[in-house]
Amino acid sequence: MSKGYDDYDQSDDYEYEESGSKLREQVKNFLIYFRNSVNDGLIFELQALYEHTWPKLTEEYFDKRPWPDPDEVAAVVGNDYVFMILYKELYFRHIYARLPGGPTSEQRFQSFYNYCNLFNYILNAEEPVPMELPDVWLWELIDEFVYQFQSFAQYRARLQKKTPQELQNLNANNKVWNILCVLNVLHSLVDKSNIKQQLEVYASGGDPDSVAGEYGKHSLYKMFGYFSLIGLLRLHSLMGDYYQAIKVLENIEVHKKSQYAHIPACQISTSYYVGFAYMMMRRYSDAIRTFSSILLYVQRTKQLFASKTYQHDQINKQAEQMYHLLAICLVLHPQCIDESIQQALREQMFHEKMYKMQCGDLKEFENCFVFACPKFLSPYPPAVDSQPNDYSKDAIKHQTAMFMSEVRQQKMLPTIRSYLKLYTTLPLSKLANFMSQNSRKEGENQRDLSKEIQALTIHLLCFKHKMKNMVWSKGASGLEGKFQSGSELDFYIDNDMIHIADTKVAHRYGDFFIRKILKFEDLNRKLHQIKL
Amino acid sequence: MAEAMKQTVATMLKGIERYNPDNLPTLERYVEIQSRENAYDLEANLAVLKLYQFNPHRFNTNIVCQILLKALTNLPHTDFMLCKCLLYEKQLSIEPIDQIVYLADILEQCNFQAFWTRVLTDQDLTQSITGFVDSIRKFVCHVVGITYQTIDQHHLAQLLGDIDDSTLKIWIKKYGWKEIENNLVFIANQDENIKTKNINEKIDFDSVGAIMASCR
Repeated sequence: MSKGYDDYDQSDDYEYEESGSKLREQVKNFLIYFRNSVNDGLIFELQALYEHTWPKLTEEYFDKRPWPDPDEVAAVVGNDYVFMILYKELYFRHIYARLPGGPTSEQRFQSFYNYCNLFNYILNAEEPVPMELPDVWLWELIDEFVYQFQSFAQYRARLQKKTPQELQNLNANNKVWNILCVLNVLHSLVDKSNIKQQLEVYASGGDPDSVAGEYGKHSLYKMFGYFSLIGLLRLHSLMGDYYQAIKVLENIEVHKKSQYAHIPACQISTSYYVGFAYMMMRRYSDAIRTFSSILLYVQRTKQLFASKTYQHDQINKQAEQMYHLLAICLVLHPQCIDESIQQALREQMFHEKMYKMQCGDLKEFENCFVFACPKFLSPYPPAVDSQPNDYSKDAIKHQTAMFMSEVRQQKMLPTIRSYLKLYTTLPLSKLANFMSQNSRKEGENQRDLSKEIQALTIHLLCFKHKMKNMVWSKGASGLEGKFQSGSELDFYIDNDMIHIADTKVAHRYGDFFIRKILKFEDLNRKLHQIKL
Repeated sequence: MAEAMKQTVATMLKGIERYNPDNLPTLERYVEIQSRENAYDLEANLAVLKLYQFNPHRFNTNIVCQILLKALTNLPHTDFMLCKCLLYEKQLSIEPIDQIVYLADILEQCNFQAFWTRVLTDQDLTQSITGFVDSIRKFVCHVVGITYQTIDQHHLAQLLGDIDDSTLKIWIKKYGWKEIENNLVFIANQDENIKTKNINEKIDFDSVGAIMASCR
């Protein structure tokens, strides 16, 4: 391995003055070394530079201000075309993430053009380009590309604070961050790499290289292809297209370890959008399985991310959102889940939220949903003649309304469930009686039992209908599945008698004792270490 | 004809071609064929809604109504939800889309009596969809099939839209149900599928061996 960047002498940064026109020597050396590593394809070195040195220098010198202007950097690195594209990508990414006030219109445009240059370079080459970048970089690049599109769509929809001139400029440049353009990039990367064919062969146990083609054999194209599928998953979800969202992942088994699934942030993001789409399709079992499995993974690997802070924040945020979504799903569709996820829900005080939702508190449902849902967007900017309002929240309001209509349809189910839990058999008339005691007003004595039974029967039918959902068990597409009732409480009606089947879980001792044993061991070890 | 078109349409849905507005006329015609011939292709219909999402000026209320009604015929699948999520809020309140949304809402709540009353008073709304009523009856039978062991005959007829005795007999036969004494219909033996589960922890020696060995 060649001499690492951190071995360089870092003492002579005296040149840096407030004018900012000259680059600090340390930054300059870093950039040159960075360029050389890119050109020589030193993949491990690049990973260290990308994941550690760049964030470190950012922290140190460019906390709330941009990295050096690309023109200045170009002079330092000898106008290296490819390196400059990569530098600009990082430069704009940093502006999006860290600069107070975010990027200007102009910067958004520039960043878009830079992406165009990058993807043109990769996609229009006559032979595979000789570029190699660490997978984590490729993932974050695609993820950022979709994020910047999302950010632009939100920005574009906020008409209220823009001057007529700004609006005119935006309207004149409708091609910039156009949805079709973004879709086109992702689809082209997918096609170029033959990733779909590769995944299909891989899933059936074959060698993906046999169908990868000239480009798809290269790690760069292959992984760009794979990450573009995840980018499409996110993009479809942001536009409320849950069917396509799941469909695009055909031949990817979300829970399975595979040669493609080694970037934690990518895995977590994938599960988040997949689980969310399942929830919207009322496939609660699938959603719960997806969320619990990834949350377990996050629990187990937490220490791994502790050092990489920028990734850590995003992972934590997404995990918290998934706990909220999981809580929603468990209220709508109670079922047994892994003990340690249950424990985590308890520790994070989800009890109160879940209790409120069980009691039919619609506001609580909505709050949890809005906190946890993706930042939905409208694919097209508001019409040119629109009133100067803020349209950026329209899409999120709509998806929330759609979800809430489902919740409203199920509003009576938790109450019914709570009564059914107490019995093994229960006559319809008796349950109708219980139910009407809730709704009957004081002093209202007139009852019509047959009407009440009729109303109750509707709720019971609804209960059965809503709790019988598609559940995936096998098959290449996550859309496949069979109808199952996976919820812990079930029943059937025999003429006028309800027969109830509950799931009873005996207390688990094994986990409990193992935890205590480990704790005791740990304590014992620490005691031994104490020197008096 | 729907069968014949399926292939042509499938190529229009591949990759980026899916977003090509030039395909819209063909896809719209395909929707109408589905309505007429009682066929169904969710993916193609979602692609139409997607194209409307991308090209709002091409929005066609009539086609959207057909797509939404067709989605209802595929209950208990959640196709209607998938369609709704691709529309804009304003579009859902256009008449008669709002009526269809209402129909979907009461169907999803299994308020079948209310649904039939509504459908009978406004037959124009669903007329364009061949086999609409029977498709909904299939959904009703699905829900009845998973809910009941035995059901009152009169009640069953009501759920199916107040059908007469001979029609009822046809449906009962179709699903292999049986008329039994006291005006009851036997649906299925549910206690085989729906029974109380007890989950007990089973710990075998092998799984604790390791931790016990380390505790010495």
